[in-house]
Amino acid sequence: MEFTRSRRVLAGAAFAAAATMGLAACSSGSSDPASSGADGGSGEQVEIRLNWWGSDARHERTQEAIDAFMAEYPNITVVGEFSDWTGYWDKLATSTAGSNMPDVIQMDQLYLASYAERGTLADLGALSTLDTSNLSDSVLGIGQVDGTQYAMPVSTVGFTILVNQDILDELGLTLPDTDSWTWDDFYAFAAEVTEVSGGDVVGTAPMNNEFSLQLWARQNGEALFTDGNVSISPEVLADYLAQGLEMSKIGASAEATAYSEQASLPLDQIDFSVGKQAMAFTQITQIAAYTAASDGANLVAVKLPTEDANASKYLYLKPGMYFSVSSQSAHPEEAAQLIDFLVNDPTAAEIIGTERGLPANPNTIELLADSLTPEETKAVEYTDSIADLLGEAPEIVPNGASGVDGLIQRYILEVYFESSSPIDAADAFISELQSSIDAA
Amino acid sequence: MSLAELDRMRTERDKAGRKIKVKQPDNKAALGFLAPWIIGLLGLTAGPLLYSLYLSFTKYNLLQPPEWTGLDNFERMLTDDRLHQALKVTFTYVIVSVPLQLLVALVLALALDRGMRFLPFYRSAFYLPSLLGGSVAIAVLWRLVFGADGLLNAILGWMGIESTQSWISNPDTALWTIVLLHVWTFGSPMVIFLAGLRQIPKSYYEAASTDGANAWWQFRHITLPLLTPIVFFNLVLAIINAFSNFTQAYVVSGGTGGPADSTLFYTLYLYQEGFGNFRMGYAAAMAWLLVLIIGAFTGLNFWLSKRWVHYDD
Repeated sequence: MEFTRSRRVLAGAAFAAAATMGLAACSSGSSDPASSGADGGSGEQVEIRLNWWGSDARHERTQEAIDAFMAEYPNITVVGEFSDWTGYWDKLATSTAGSNMPDVIQMDQLYLASYAERGTLADLGALSTLDTSNLSDSVLGIGQVDGTQYAMPVSTVGFTILVNQDILDELGLTLPDTDSWTWDDFYAFAAEVTEVSGGDVVGTAPMNNEFSLQLWARQNGEALFTDGNVSISPEVLADYLAQGLEMSKIGASAEATAYSEQASLPLDQIDFSVGKQAMAFTQITQIAAYTAASDGANLVAVKLPTEDANASKYLYLKPGMYFSVSSQSAHPEEAAQLIDFLVNDPTAAEIIGTERGLPANPNTIELLADSLTPEETKAVEYTDSIADLLGEAPEIVPNGASGVDGLIQRYILEVYFESSSPIDAADAFISELQSSIDAA
Repeated sequence: MSLAELDRMRTERDKAGRKIKVKQPDNKAALGFLAPWIIGLLGLTAGPLLYSLYLSFTKYNLLQPPEWTGLDNFERMLTDDRLHQALKVTFTYVIVSVPLQLLVALVLALALDRGMRFLPFYRSAFYLPSLLGGSVAIAVLWRLVFGADGLLNAILGWMGIESTQSWISNPDTALWTIVLLHVWTFGSPMVIFLAGLRQIPKSYYEAASTDGANAWWQFRHITLPLLTPIVFFNLVLAIINAFSNFTQAYVVSGGTGGPADSTLFYTLYLYQEGFGNFRMGYAAAMAWLLVLIIGAFTGLNFWLSKRWVHYDD
């Protein structure tokens, strides 16, 4: 057919394109449930999938641990799948909806209630191949939803400020007494770093995740969630959201656009990793990843500042992560066997070390004591040093609130760019999070 | 057999007032050949489409069966600030990027139509961005160009303009970097324009130059009117494409729509609601709203086309 300027051809083509392209966006997939039929730990050849998120260091160690597991249990083949944090949850949601959920899932407390309350996780208490007797009741408790053990706690982590001592040495600065420092001390010191370096190095960057917001609330005598609802006050939240903006005004942290650029970079490219930022809020377990990313910089873990020098037991150890078994799994006993190996077996313990956090299993910590790397030793020492500050763990993030980290980052930027006042942002934040919980 | 011939057959039968025997075997064979397409249409397009219409009236979290909630999802749209932000971003994007992209495509098509040497090479080279536009490498490239230490700031520096801001991380400018990315992927409208230009009979131009018409006059009174069907075709496609843009927004902002929701495209928000917040019912309702919006724009386009599109036949 000749390419003509005929009305019918063109109009028809345009219309057909409109119809197909416009509607293609709306199709949603649904598929058959996976084949079921659990076979309780029989010796037959089975394949299970293990899914995790993390850095390169974790991928290598986990793969090594999987190989050790397969050597010990030759009838079980484990296929490892991994991704970064953001992609992980998109993928997990999609595969779960498509009844293609991995058998063993690395789980986080942000999502535990969301997945457990929707019936996608297996009751670990009913699986005989997983030994939970090494963990104390309080640690096991953080893996339960409504009394059912949906998740096996792997580790616990504390929150810290990592300080790049190499930068301070170079600038000739001395860290204040971090056992008793106040937030004002911290801000002043961060601003001093920026000033002394002539702007080459920035003091710090604001806190921006659920863990730190929990701690901020607790320092102010509040809780982020109570009885499954948002319970932080707008005033306390507003101060938290405004931290970045306030710090940038005195030079303690970067300008809004520079900060915003950081948010989308991988860990090894952000300012703190490349020696352009002296202090960073993070989880203590990240010390290994940051040390590697910064080519072995001397990182020191210090306590968070408080208004009233260490008055209350505001800190807590967050469940670093869990392993869960999918309720869709065709081989739940083998899946539980893998979890048992990863958290209880000495071989796995030595391979994994403290990369996933300080092991929740006390036997593992004892076992590791002699073989820790310098970074792991720092992590253990820091965790010991905050023992006096530890209070009761807060309730886990309720169903529907899994997006809280994204919400925090978005509202911090709104305040940072001064498109909302801190208190308006706090009000909007609370109502958005609460309606998300109500809708779940 | 064309539709026109079929039409004629039907008319003849009506005039004659009696039935003509329909050749059954032909129809069966036709159905057989059509079967793969029909099955695909019903199973892969129509089925999911109707299901998504149903889902738009439900609360559906992906993991449990949907629950009928009537018009709740649509009511929520009225008060959903992020949806309004997403609409604002998307409309801005469509209104700015579509005309710009078509303009660039037309200008380049006109330049290439002059029959220069190495034409196939240039044509392919200009088409390349269209193939790359949605790839992850673009996210990296865009950072290198529009970041704080990026190429754009370096060029501005050479021109004596000091700029240390990161264009991609500033809520005031981030959307414009994606508009630019979209304009840059002008390849497919350009190729269609080129094909359209080739169809304009040379004799028109010869006649016009004999009459002493200059290049601008020829463009204004020959090329443009005869090209209007192609412009229309490209316009309809470009508007639909721009409304349903997802990949570019996703790769440049890493799926967040950031900074501060300044690049929260409609489809990106739809994706976040569906797969991030497990509100698949709401996401389905949003998808249908988008269908209505695109449908309205396309309808408006067809209606307006009567006033400016010139058909030869």
